[in-house]
Amino acid sequence: MTPKPTGPLDGGWGWVVVAAGFAVNGLSYGVLRSLGLAFPDFAEYFDRNAQETAWVSALALAVQQAASPVGSALSTRWGARPVVMVGGVLTSLGFVFSAFAHSLLHLYLGLGVLAGSGWALVFAPALGTVSRYFSRRRVLAVGLALTGNGASSLLLAPALQLLLDNFGWRGALLLLGAVTLHLTPCGALLRPLALPGDPLAPPRSPLAALGLGLFRRRAFLVLTLGTALVGVGYFIPYVHLAPHALDRGLGGYGAALVVAAAAMGDIGARLLCGWLADQGWVPLPRLLTIFGALTGLGLLAVGLVPVVGNEDGWGGPLLAAAGAYGLSAGSYAPLVFCVLPELVGIGNVVQATGLVMLLLSLGGLLGPPLSGFLRDETGDFTASFLTCGSFVLSGSFIYLGLPKSLPSCRPASRPGTPPPEMGELLPVPQVALLSPGHPHSTLDTTC
Amino acid sequence: MRALQGLRGPRAPALPLFLLCFLAAVRRSLEDGLSTAAPFTSLPVQEEITTKYSNLSSESHNISVTAAPYTSLPVQEEMMTKYSNLSLESHNISMTAMPMKENNKGNQICVDRGIMLQRNVTLEQSNMPVEKNITLERPSNVELTCQFTTSGDLNSVNVTWKKGDKLLEDNYLVNATGSILYTQYRVAVIGSKQMGSYSCFFGEKKQHRGTFNLKVPEINGKNKPLITYVGDSVVLMCKCQDCLPLNWTWYGVNGSVQVPIGVPVNDKYVISGKHANETRLKITQLSEDDQGTYWCHAIFELGESEGHVELVVLSYLVPLKAFCAIVAEVVLLVTAILLFEMYTQKKKKPSGDGKEFEQGEQMKLDDSNGIENSGPRHRKNESVGQ
Repeated sequence: MTPKPTGPLDGGWGWVVVAAGFAVNGLSYGVLRSLGLAFPDFAEYFDRNAQETAWVSALALAVQQAASPVGSALSTRWGARPVVMVGGVLTSLGFVFSAFAHSLLHLYLGLGVLAGSGWALVFAPALGTVSRYFSRRRVLAVGLALTGNGASSLLLAPALQLLLDNFGWRGALLLLGAVTLHLTPCGALLRPLALPGDPLAPPRSPLAALGLGLFRRRAFLVLTLGTALVGVGYFIPYVHLAPHALDRGLGGYGAALVVAAAAMGDIGARLLCGWLADQGWVPLPRLLTIFGALTGLGLLAVGLVPVVGNEDGWGGPLLAAAGAYGLSAGSYAPLVFCVLPELVGIGNVVQATGLVMLLLSLGGLLGPPLSGFLRDETGDFTASFLTCGSFVLSGSFIYLGLPKSLPSCRPASRPGTPPPEMGELLPVPQVALLSPGHPHSTLDTTC
Repeated sequence: MRALQGLRGPRAPALPLFLLCFLAAVRRSLEDGLSTAAPFTSLPVQEEITTKYSNLSSESHNISVTAAPYTSLPVQEEMMTKYSNLSLESHNISMTAMPMKENNKGNQICVDRGIMLQRNVTLEQSNMPVEKNITLERPSNVELTCQFTTSGDLNSVNVTWKKGDKLLEDNYLVNATGSILYTQYRVAVIGSKQMGSYSCFFGEKKQHRGTFNLKVPEINGKNKPLITYVGDSVVLMCKCQDCLPLNWTWYGVNGSVQVPIGVPVNDKYVISGKHANETRLKITQLSEDDQGTYWCHAIFELGESEGHVELVVLSYLVPLKAFCAIVAEVVLLVTAILLFEMYTQKKKKPSGDGKEFEQGEQMKLDDSNGIENSGPRHRKNESVGQ
């Protein structure tokens, strides 16, 4: 007998889940970002150049994002908790293995493949669970969880440097393995939750578990297409904002200030927009379109900022543009995950998250090399930022195809009514996950 | 002004010959139409000398060279080619002295030697020694020029040159024009004996001083200690930015004595280097005895230079202890979390379904079968569902 499922809780244990999601973010993306500190030591020991060592983190990121659907598929079958716990062990093993590396290949395998797969098992299920635990405050909760990587890299960067100075890179990797093992207790905190709209039976086949059937829904297809385009441009400032600031004439500290401005705007916006979006004044797809467009415009502004006069200047225009970019990008991030329940139903959120991560990764693999290539061809980053800004803008344009993205003539729903999360914008089949032939309707985006 | 009066005293024969060559060259340029009255047309003279003496590039820093009135000396052609394979390097120091004015305080130097007395000026403080570091790698001819500006009487300024503490009495020239006093010292640096500090002094009490420090290039080792583990292998590297030493040697330190490494060639130490400006010492099978500072010596024609690298060898137990501690903590956390959940669920105990206990004990379950009851919360309105 199936007990009667209860709705999402919007508090209580949900906040513990948010904390777990925060830690998961910190121990995956945060560690990945700080790993670059160890690269000079790798390069020196293995006698390779900087580019080859940088492949370690590029590989880890690629594996993490590309294998995300696998993580979400597994958690659909067995629940988020065991998958995240296993993912934590896998990541930790990857670090321990790489601590004994005798060639760069071992690092690629240990950190890139093994740790990357562990992270793939961890991110989408954890984020999906956070979404499931909230409805009224979902965007805020997801935004809070997503600030984990920023906060973590602030803490982890000096800590990693300390480890490297005291234990060398082998000891540092070993201890990082122990630190990332904390993903397992985070997974233990992800108590399973039953919600209306969950598929009643586990998916029959692995392919079904991947959730590829979601692509049949037009709204989800639109979202993934737009997100893939946005992904091309979204990650470029992570890599190229600092060099761009240096190119524009700022000194080392000025460039660091620009990056910090973007990071702080990012963090602040995640929380602010989270709170704002949850008020329900504006439908989430519309907010997504708006902030996507603002991010694109911000990138264009960053690219078009004129050369700073002297090196000691604090680069006012670039700082403002970077801050604007940070604010809009930070607002965009939780929205792209929170719009999923409306489009696919809360029951498919974990799978949808995995698929969105995959699409983002495709863009992320394309963007920075393209930007670097444009920089080498044209001599500065203007063309790169303009290109990635236009990618983001075109992605946001595609978002206009989402339901409720354009203002409609129907009266707006009163704030206070719960946000749509049963995929009401498209009728969701009550029974098994794959049920072809249900009518597509209500894509009424015009008057 | 000091007039050159020919060879004086026991000197290395090379230098005066060298000067003769220089004089001869200058004379020829004078015959070419440069007048001594117009003091310096430095560049044409310079270039002539440069082309005579070097087939390598030479450095010039807007130097003015002049010849004081000489007694004519025989020109000896062969001497001019003696050091023709050496490059020429020129270095310049300028010093300025301002006459003290009535209401000037601070670092003003009174040089006016006539009637005015030095007043209220601490000459020692205002006498900031001007130094220039010159890096020499290969034997070369070095030309050091000091340039002194003052509005006082130049003729009464005494000029001396010193190497270290030894007074140099020969091989330098002095000339003055307008308010600038020039003095130049030339030396052919062919060995480590000619390296060191050369100083020019202006004034009776030698209160103005310019110093040229001739040094061999510096070697960069590593500032932070290299941390390795027992049984591992490591590569220590020393590098020189723009120089090419003749040879490199490595020394380990035993107590306070430097012991050469790699002399009996064995497997443990391998010295190699990809380019001439770097050297690598590979040590395999590290043990804790291999800890300490390693010195790399670069040997140049003009001397030796050294850098150092510090090596620390740790045993694996050091991080392993921390690792085990953290893993134990994680296991504790996980157990605590799961026990806590079992405990709260037992307390709540909804229906007599055995499934709750199963849920607490098993970790594998389906989302749709899970039961959630963790205390009172505002529940979502079930009318939301369809």
